[in-house]
Amino acid sequence: MDPANTPLGRMLVEEITPVVMVLCTPLVEESCLKNSLSFVEMLSPFCSFNNIDVPVRTASDQPYRLQKFKLRLFYASDIRQPNLEVAKERLKQVITQAGEKDDLCSDPPHFSNLLASSESGIQPSWFEYFNKELVRTMSFSDHESFDHPVACLLVVSSKDEQPINRFVDLFNTNKLPSLLNDGAMDPKILKHYLLVHDNQDSTQEKAAKILTEMRSTFGSNECQLLCINSSPHGLVERPENPWAPYKCDPSPSQCLGCFLNIDDFNKIKDLMQDLSSKHIIPYMEQKIRVLNQQVSATRKGLRNQIKNLWWRKGKEDVADSPDGPMYTFSSIESQIRVLGDYAFMLRDYELALSNYRLISTDYKLDKAWKRYAGVQEMIGLAFFMLDQSRKEAEYCMENAFSTYLKIGPSGQQNATRCGLWWVEMLKTRDQYTDAASVYFRICGEEPLHSAVMLEQASYCYLLSKPPMLRKFGFHLVLSGDRYKKCDQIKHAIRTYRSAVSVFEGITWGHINDHVHFHIGQWYGILGMYDLAVKHMLEVLACSHQSKITQEFFLRDFLQIVQKTGKTFEVLKLQLPKVNISSLKVVFDDHRTYASPAAATVGESLWHSLEEDMIPSLSTAKTNWLDLQSKLIPKKYRESNVCVAGEAVKVDIEFKNPLQIPISISSVSLICELSVRSDEMESALASGANSFLIVGADASSKTAELQNDDDFINLTTNRDMSSENSSFTSSEVDFSLGGGETTVVQLTVTPKVEGILQIVGVRWKLSDSVIGLHNFDSNHMKKKNTKGKRKAKPAPRDNLKFIVIKGLPKLEGFIHSLPEKAYAGDIRHLVLELRNQSEFTVQNLKMKISDPRFLNIGDQENLKTEFPSCLEKKKASEQSGVHGSSNNLSQTVFLFPKDTSIQGKTPLLWPLWLRAAVPGYISLYITVYYEMGDISSIIKYRTLRMHYDLQVLPSLDISFQISPCPSRLQEFLVRMDVVNSTSSESFQVHQLSSVGHQWEISLLQHVDTIFPSQSLMAGQALSCFFMLKSCRKSLTSQDEISTLSPLLGSDVRLGPEGSNEPLFDICSSPLADFHHCERLHLGMSHQGDPNTVDFILITRPVKDNIIPGVSNPPHLFSHHACYCSTSSTSPISWQVDGPHTLYHDFSASFYEINLRMIIYNSADAVASVRINTFDSTNSSGHLSEGTTTVSTDPSGDQAGWRDASVVNDIKVTSDVGGSRAGKSLSVESVPPFIWSGTSSTRIQLEPMSTSEIPLQICVFSPGIYDLSNYVLHWKVVSSNDPGNQEGASRSSGTCQGYPYYLSVLQSS
Amino acid sequence: MPEKMIVCVAVVGHQNNPLYIQSFTEADDALKLHHIVHCSLDVVDERVNNPKKSGSPLNETFLGLLYPTENYKVYGYLTNTKVKFIVVTTDLDVRDADVRNFFRRFHAAYVDAVSNPFHVPGKKITSRTFAERVSTIVKSFGLSSAG
Repeated sequence: MDPANTPLGRMLVEEITPVVMVLCTPLVEESCLKNSLSFVEMLSPFCSFNNIDVPVRTASDQPYRLQKFKLRLFYASDIRQPNLEVAKERLKQVITQAGEKDDLCSDPPHFSNLLASSESGIQPSWFEYFNKELVRTMSFSDHESFDHPVACLLVVSSKDEQPINRFVDLFNTNKLPSLLNDGAMDPKILKHYLLVHDNQDSTQEKAAKILTEMRSTFGSNECQLLCINSSPHGLVERPENPWAPYKCDPSPSQCLGCFLNIDDFNKIKDLMQDLSSKHIIPYMEQKIRVLNQQVSATRKGLRNQIKNLWWRKGKEDVADSPDGPMYTFSSIESQIRVLGDYAFMLRDYELALSNYRLISTDYKLDKAWKRYAGVQEMIGLAFFMLDQSRKEAEYCMENAFSTYLKIGPSGQQNATRCGLWWVEMLKTRDQYTDAASVYFRICGEEPLHSAVMLEQASYCYLLSKPPMLRKFGFHLVLSGDRYKKCDQIKHAIRTYRSAVSVFEGITWGHINDHVHFHIGQWYGILGMYDLAVKHMLEVLACSHQSKITQEFFLRDFLQIVQKTGKTFEVLKLQLPKVNISSLKVVFDDHRTYASPAAATVGESLWHSLEEDMIPSLSTAKTNWLDLQSKLIPKKYRESNVCVAGEAVKVDIEFKNPLQIPISISSVSLICELSVRSDEMESALASGANSFLIVGADASSKTAELQNDDDFINLTTNRDMSSENSSFTSSEVDFSLGGGETTVVQLTVTPKVEGILQIVGVRWKLSDSVIGLHNFDSNHMKKKNTKGKRKAKPAPRDNLKFIVIKGLPKLEGFIHSLPEKAYAGDIRHLVLELRNQSEFTVQNLKMKISDPRFLNIGDQENLKTEFPSCLEKKKASEQSGVHGSSNNLSQTVFLFPKDTSIQGKTPLLWPLWLRAAVPGYISLYITVYYEMGDISSIIKYRTLRMHYDLQVLPSLDISFQISPCPSRLQEFLVRMDVVNSTSSESFQVHQLSSVGHQWEISLLQHVDTIFPSQSLMAGQALSCFFMLKSCRKSLTSQDEISTLSPLLGSDVRLGPEGSNEPLFDICSSPLADFHHCERLHLGMSHQGDPNTVDFILITRPVKDNIIPGVSNPPHLFSHHACYCSTSSTSPISWQVDGPHTLYHDFSASFYEINLRMIIYNSADAVASVRINTFDSTNSSGHLSEGTTTVSTDPSGDQAGWRDASVVNDIKVTSDVGGSRAGKSLSVESVPPFIWSGTSSTRIQLEPMSTSEIPLQICVFSPGIYDLSNYVLHWKVVSSNDPGNQEGASRSSGTCQGYPYYLSVLQSS
Repeated sequence: MPEKMIVCVAVVGHQNNPLYIQSFTEADDALKLHHIVHCSLDVVDERVNNPKKSGSPLNETFLGLLYPTENYKVYGYLTNTKVKFIVVTTDLDVRDADVRNFFRRFHAAYVDAVSNPFHVPGKKITSRTFAERVSTIVKSFGLSSAG
């Protein structure tokens, strides 16, 4: 690449060019000003020549041709070092102007776009201009000579009096720049004389006369005539005004050069070309040759060098001033420098370089640091232009740069220029990172300059490969800070905004917040509040910042918002955060909810509960190809149905991310209600059935995008504030402390039919900013897929509703339902159903989730007094109460046909509550009702009620039943009661056995069982009862029928002599709950006759009831079902016979007849074999037999206590068996023998008894234990002969009971 | 401010997200240090992506001096999981060995912190134990180099 074509090369070719000093008279200026131009400005466009093609011969003999050339024209008064303050002001103006041009409103380009664009497009274009201006402030320094004028142009107007004298006067020394006067440069410079003639003033004749006079005076070559203002009209149109770029002040460009016609134009052009090619260049050539000869004579060659060195050494005592010694133009050092500069300007870089090098060491030795730096700088540039030895070029630049800096503040400016050239050099070689660091080094104390430099540095980082974006951003921020310091706010904003694109999306919160906050603040200063707010919003949710910073941010933000004087509506305001996943919509279509708690229950639960009640859908949907999709617009199938006048509730969670409290007000839903037109109505009416499907069938829902353009007929009403709006929405105010989260319920109530769309939520932050948050459908979709837990979340979450005509809606409430209850508590409750509308509802049905806890009563006992209604009455009165047991058979309760609810009269219906088991219980009640008005789209609705109940444990009861060994069909019942409450005492009222075949009776006196007549908290108690089976039949009968009617026997456990009535366990709630308990325990025991159910009824001790507080009468019932009566074997027997006998053994031995009654309690035929044996040594046999007992494993362990009871029985029987065996082996029993068969086998029908005669022979008086017999039994399942599993076929061996027989010698 | 001091340590995740950044100065210059750490990531990237340019081949975790600013020196360290550790120190003539040693101990502390089963990888390190340990290491940095 040609160095001259690089940016730096172009800059050097343009800037390091010969200077022509212009001296002109005021009349010349006057003529030029007609064109709104100064004389220099008029000539300027013609000073650069792109195709001059001049042969040049410098020191070498080989000529070369210059193609491009440029002259710089300056007035003599301008040829001096510019005033620093003025220069600064000028630069500041440049920057300010550039800032004004910036469009602060549009988005700055993203850095990725910047990277894609061309290199020149990346930086703001004014940088180049600024750099040029900055370099120019350093011109006309005396330490370098390329700014020294090469020639002088003396201009006199033809109107001037005595023009020749004027020419002489012009070059008067006291007007000349100091450079010429103080000897820094040769005052003998090339002079050129120009006579300017204004054609508007007079003809050219006078001018021609003066010209000839001039020529005779100054020599013919040096004098020229320039005629201007040839156009008399003053309007010369040019497609491109050549002067425009040279004119700084903004003046109308068409005035520029308006009197200069094409002749003038060409004349000026010729003049300048002539000047440069015929005068200046030859002059410079000549001067170079002259100087070169001198330099060669004095400095070239070994001898001269040594001499020079020695001479320099001698001057070591030179004061170390920054400027070094003063060199006059005639000194050899100055001449070398001039030679170098001239060579440089004529592009003979080799010559320039050699001279610069020559002088460099001299200056160094002289410690003329500024000159040394200047020369080093030029060496670097010469190297660059020669495209040689890049390293050295850079080294020279760095050397120059640091040397300039070394000489103190005066060098700073030069260092800046040097740095800029150096940067350009590095940029040309793509060393952008290095360039950036040089820019960084250029930044001096002047904040404005360093701001610009830092900004340029940042672009270098962006341009480096790979781009260093973070440094780009960082330097932009640094630069912005400096701009701000100099009140260049627009620039500051621009830089920060460029940086935003780098920092956006990164997690470096502090940096991001800083940038956005300051942009916001600065926009605020500029009064561009909209943009300020926009940026401030970014930092509001700065949870990672400290509390003070958060407060600061929020305060500033609110201040800016206040300044705007209007309320902003901000989409996605971050304060507070809306937790969109928490969004929950509750609305009533055909499903209505009595309480918010009911709405939170999963739809599937309700669905299963209502399955039997609601009309089947299959009737509406004949097959899956049904044409319903045509009947109802596709759009509406996705929607939910809600009823006009009924509120749609939306729960949404707000979170304050900050540590400081914020106040939120006027939180409301944004809704759109499109009022439906008649056409739509018909479509909807025809598709009435489909709505029900929509409501109930979520799986058919497809994720189609809804297109609102389909329906033009809809008129949208979005007006929220107006009174006659078609819907009302609630407003909520609240304040959130630091980090708090709040769930807010918002409602919207549509008033007319149509389509309601909940668009989003709006709120007001600190009474100044309105935040909006749209419930984006994308969000909803996401949530649906995530939370498939619920069976049908889709219809709920869809925020589009079809509003239908107002419908009656039932409101339900259960009076006095406790939140806490002890287990077993029975309460009488009243369900109240209200219908606010004037339309009737009818055909009511109700279903309760858990009938164990809640039972539906009869309407008659609505008024009855509890618990007295349960008390036993005379037989004649009982029949009415028993009727309700019909309720149990059907799961859905149908209210009487004539029940309808209308207007203000509520329907009251009794309910029975029993806290069946401890724990947290959820009760679900759903009421189905149909509309009296059939024209409605929705035919029926359901009212869903949900209550939570905490049940505390009260009494734990268990029963152990063991058969009486001595008696058939009689059982000993042990009841263990533990009061597991912490404070309550209970009074045990009665124990009832259920079923007519059982009779229960006390074993002990009541007072001995319950001395204190109550069970204190924590007290445990055991008591015993006798249970007798009064089953009459020996053959099997229909046992199942025994369940109903429920009969039973009761034992009063109350205090002696109390005449409190017993409760009738057959009365409606008790019997019903008992039935539920039985159902709960399972159906397998249905027919087992060997189980017995007990109901223990207790009441709280009266003392506990606090007077004054209305305490409903309590009654506790505890149900123990399926307590097994069966022992280890289904076979029970009894040996019957005399116990004491008298016999005269002297006569003969005594034959005693006994009989054994065997009872088979199994429900299958049992085969029993009785083995008798006489000897005692078979005891081992016996014990073995007891251990092989196997009982039916599918046993009777229904309750938690029952299981242990069975085990207990087993253990005791084991122990008893082994002891019996032992006793047999140890005791010497007086001999007796079994007579008759030693083995008898009989078949026993189920539930039957059989008698076997037994006989023993006794040979001497004594007490005999007739226990040495064994029963082997085997039950053959008769129900299912095919089933050969152990459960149905069991067998075992029982050892005989001790039967003591005393035989005495009769006297 | 003491002569030899670490003013800032940072853990930066492999997506250049800050996992832990803690400054140890009294002055309120957190933002500046954030910027410095953030910028030095550019140099880390450069080192990692152009190992040739930076001279020594990148076969060790210690990245060396990332970039000298006017008042600070920034050192970097890259773990195998592309987690970067950055240290900003005011000590302008610190020995490489000291910094290496520091990073080794810091790495150990980091490994222990992220081994916590309750730590979510890629999220900020909030462990108080880690913070305490880091501050101990930072304090001992000046001592070890002095001794």
